[in-house]
Amino acid sequence: MDAPADQPAPGARPHGWHALDDDPRWYERAVFYELVPRSFYDSDGDGVGDIRGIVEKLDYLAWLGIDCIWLLPFYPSPLRDGGYDVADYWSVAPDCGSVDDVALLVAEAHRRGIRIIADLVINHTSDQHPWFLESRASRDNPKADWYVWGDDDQRWSDIRVIFCDAESSNWTFDPVRQQYYWHRFFHHQPDLNYENPEVREAVMAVVRFWLDLGIDGFRLDAAAYLFQRDGTSGENLPETHEFLQAMRREMDRDYPRRMLLAEVNQWPADVVDYFGDGDECHMCFHFPLMPRMFMAVRREQRFPITEILAQTPPIPSGCQWGIFLRNHDELTLEMVTDEERDYMYAEYASDPRMRRNLGIRRRLAPLVDNDRGVAQLLHALLLSLPGSPVLYYGDELQMGDNIYLGDRDGVRTPMQWTPDRNGGFSRADFARLLLPPLMDPVYGYQAVNVEAETRDPSSFLHWLRRMLAVRRQHPIFATGGIEVLPADNPSVLAYVRTGSGDAGDEVVLCVYNLSRFAQAAEISVGRWVGSRPVELVGRAQFPRIGSDAYVVTLGPHGFYWLDIEGRG
Amino acid sequence: MAVDQDDLARLAIAYLERQHWYSGAAEPAPPAHAEVVAARTIREERPGLARLVVGAGTRRFQVLVGWRDPSELSTVLRGRESAILGPVSDGPDQVLAYDAVADDELLVELLAHVTGGRERATLVRRVPSLDSHASVVYDERLFMKCYRVLDRGARPEVEVVLGLDRVGFNALLAPVAHWREDGLDLAIVREFLPGALEGRLLALTSLRDLLAHASGREEGASSDGGPDAGGAPVVADPEDECASAGGDLASEMARLGATTARLHLALSEAFGDRPASASTVEDAASALGGARGEGATEVAERVASVDPGAAGRSIRLHGDYHLRRVMRSEVGWLVAGFGDDPLYGASEGEVSRPGRRGSPVEDLADMCNSVHRVAEEALAQRPGSETPLASELARAWERRNRSAFLEGYAATEGVGRLLPRDPSVTELLLSAHELARERRYEATSPDT
Repeated sequence: MDAPADQPAPGARPHGWHALDDDPRWYERAVFYELVPRSFYDSDGDGVGDIRGIVEKLDYLAWLGIDCIWLLPFYPSPLRDGGYDVADYWSVAPDCGSVDDVALLVAEAHRRGIRIIADLVINHTSDQHPWFLESRASRDNPKADWYVWGDDDQRWSDIRVIFCDAESSNWTFDPVRQQYYWHRFFHHQPDLNYENPEVREAVMAVVRFWLDLGIDGFRLDAAAYLFQRDGTSGENLPETHEFLQAMRREMDRDYPRRMLLAEVNQWPADVVDYFGDGDECHMCFHFPLMPRMFMAVRREQRFPITEILAQTPPIPSGCQWGIFLRNHDELTLEMVTDEERDYMYAEYASDPRMRRNLGIRRRLAPLVDNDRGVAQLLHALLLSLPGSPVLYYGDELQMGDNIYLGDRDGVRTPMQWTPDRNGGFSRADFARLLLPPLMDPVYGYQAVNVEAETRDPSSFLHWLRRMLAVRRQHPIFATGGIEVLPADNPSVLAYVRTGSGDAGDEVVLCVYNLSRFAQAAEISVGRWVGSRPVELVGRAQFPRIGSDAYVVTLGPHGFYWLDIEGRG
Repeated sequence: MAVDQDDLARLAIAYLERQHWYSGAAEPAPPAHAEVVAARTIREERPGLARLVVGAGTRRFQVLVGWRDPSELSTVLRGRESAILGPVSDGPDQVLAYDAVADDELLVELLAHVTGGRERATLVRRVPSLDSHASVVYDERLFMKCYRVLDRGARPEVEVVLGLDRVGFNALLAPVAHWREDGLDLAIVREFLPGALEGRLLALTSLRDLLAHASGREEGASSDGGPDAGGAPVVADPEDECASAGGDLASEMARLGATTARLHLALSEAFGDRPASASTVEDAASALGGARGEGATEVAERVASVDPGAAGRSIRLHGDYHLRRVMRSEVGWLVAGFGDDPLYGASEGEVSRPGRRGSPVEDLADMCNSVHRVAEEALAQRPGSETPLASELARAWERRNRSAFLEGYAATEGVGRLLPRDPSVTELLLSAHELARERRYEATSPDT
């Protein structure tokens, strides 16, 4: 892609950027960008996005202002679960590139101040993985105990089936070995047996291999399910925590400034255990916050958000939540009640094809009916709530989805770079593309693409870039405390982020109108009487805070970030 | 050195007599003679603080009096000068006495006194409230209701809050301290949840979302609003429209129903329950009184034939249960107010008084009627051109949320014991009380 006219020279960073620094707690301030390597950019014209393609687009990501790329699995795989069925931990799928390409990506990203984390799928492998092929071959081979085998399918029958749409049991019979093997996900993804010290050591060797290559950390897939015990749910077991802590100790000792981000799709009170005492995972995803943000906007009232904030326990120093609006998986509804799940289905996915397992597979823009105001409101929430935001590739353009593609591919269509052939994603013939780019008149690449949006100063892309820059200037958004403030209007959500920054104490008041109608609210900000709020984006001064409740008026889906310590 | 008590008493009585609500409260008629019947100095040194109880006929009033050097008062009162009682001698000095509720420092002192020194605060916020009491929020975490008009016996609100807390009912703002002296309930301090909002606001938010669907559709545009949508009927199914509206309140109302059921079970545990008596049925029948119109006569007849033995249990009622009395907080619904305002009686009708016993159905009828009233309120805010459609939607909203509330109530384990065994009797009593409430509203509404 040619550099758009107003795109800075390669390597240039937005205002306030710090080059890759030595801060061991960098992840607390980082904005993450999740991308699907096969769908981002095809550098060699074979129709499949690849690692070198990401290298070619690093300048764009640096321009956007993200801090860390999260790569979805690029390992060799039969691709029956988007690469989460790994067939070889030590190399890169040929269509994605090579280990050398990953080393190049790490070096080039670091040169631009961007870090790289990779998905690490350690709960299970593909059934095509050589470990499993050997394990299933007999009951007495050297890897016979590397997976969880049983003579029947009755053990741990109380443990829930996660992919309940596709699987009826967590056990599948293997006709070769004439035994059942255990799998928490698809039947083609047998679970590794963590009781076996050889397995634990093999996984640690994989970790060391990629860290030696310069990877800055891992997103640990399905971290909650490593061990099984009779009479338990098979989730969050002490043995699992012990293993993760051992992994952390090794990383702290030999690989400083690297991080672990756990995918634990559980209620926050259980998830905090994965932070340990600050000695387990550096980050965990905060899953229930995300559907609650959508729900608050649909209900036009704040309680879905404030409830979940109230139920989120404090986390140890040096730990951080990972928060997101959408990701490669479905809009996860495991964490809402049945009633609310029905509601989310009704509101967001009237078409059954949009539903999958307990979630909804839509991108952000179609999920909110392509309403720019709602998209901005949700992103402003994302960037100001406690946690490191994780953006999903293409959402910065308000890309759409293709619900007619199977599995979760509907939200993995090619990144739309230009209005040219294949959206600028690949020079290959259209028929060779792994997934077709969007071509509909609303979300198709001719209407929605990086080139057009970088040229349009009022585009969503430019808006988001500005907001990322503002967030970067106020580290309090990353590390400050949060306190929800009373507001007399249920459609208005107000909270302060407070803490000490480089320039002393800082207080930022965030006010959101969750309604599609203009709203006014009185907000209790009595503690800051006399201060004169300054809006962070446009630097406009607001009326001084008096002894009475502070009245704020907001347009439909409007919001303000106000510095109320008056430093302007 | 002490402030002159006679001066204080004289000024306090004169101050009371200047309050517009005083004469109304000192029933049956403004008394010829009022006197201080109890007094206690809470703080001697300036700014001083004393608590006076004034007797006027059968009524008792509390005045909290503060005194300071006159030079300090303008900064302390800041626009609340009407709180000044007048000059009083404090030893050799002349000081100004005033209603201590106007003084932040003395309110903090009062909090310490009421809580036996357990609680201190730095930030004081007065909340507008009915005249019969002063409401003060401390540090956005404690709430003091300091009574001006006193009850001579146990104050129902205090009694019920303490009783519910005792049996572990947690859907209320928990009592922190209770100030009772000279046989009078003077104040209660409860926890405060700053983010909580009254249920009426949530209901109005829900209705706003729904009724906005009516906008622009009266002229015949379809719900999709496309240019070629044509003049199809506006709402295919109002019930569906309610269910699919973004601001649907039904799940919240179901939770409120469950909270209400837990409230009734706790009231029955704290204050006992007994079989409904003939009067329970008579209450329902007589509440209908001369109600006329479609259904009313028939309901009255059917109620009169209900066997009291099959009418469920009689419990201590909330007595004034409506959407302003419940609050949605981060931890769910709370029963916030118990509506015992001696100046006004129950705010949405005269029949209900706290401390009263009766069928739990009466509280349910109160809430259902409140759901109806809030729908009317939202409807009244819409432009006239939308009325037919908006009204259809509002009625459907009302049915949906009433049902959700009642279903949430009935689904709560154990509550069936309090209701008539036959659901049709419950529904009948409910209809009677709802009709009665509506009739009472129409009789007192200025528009009718």
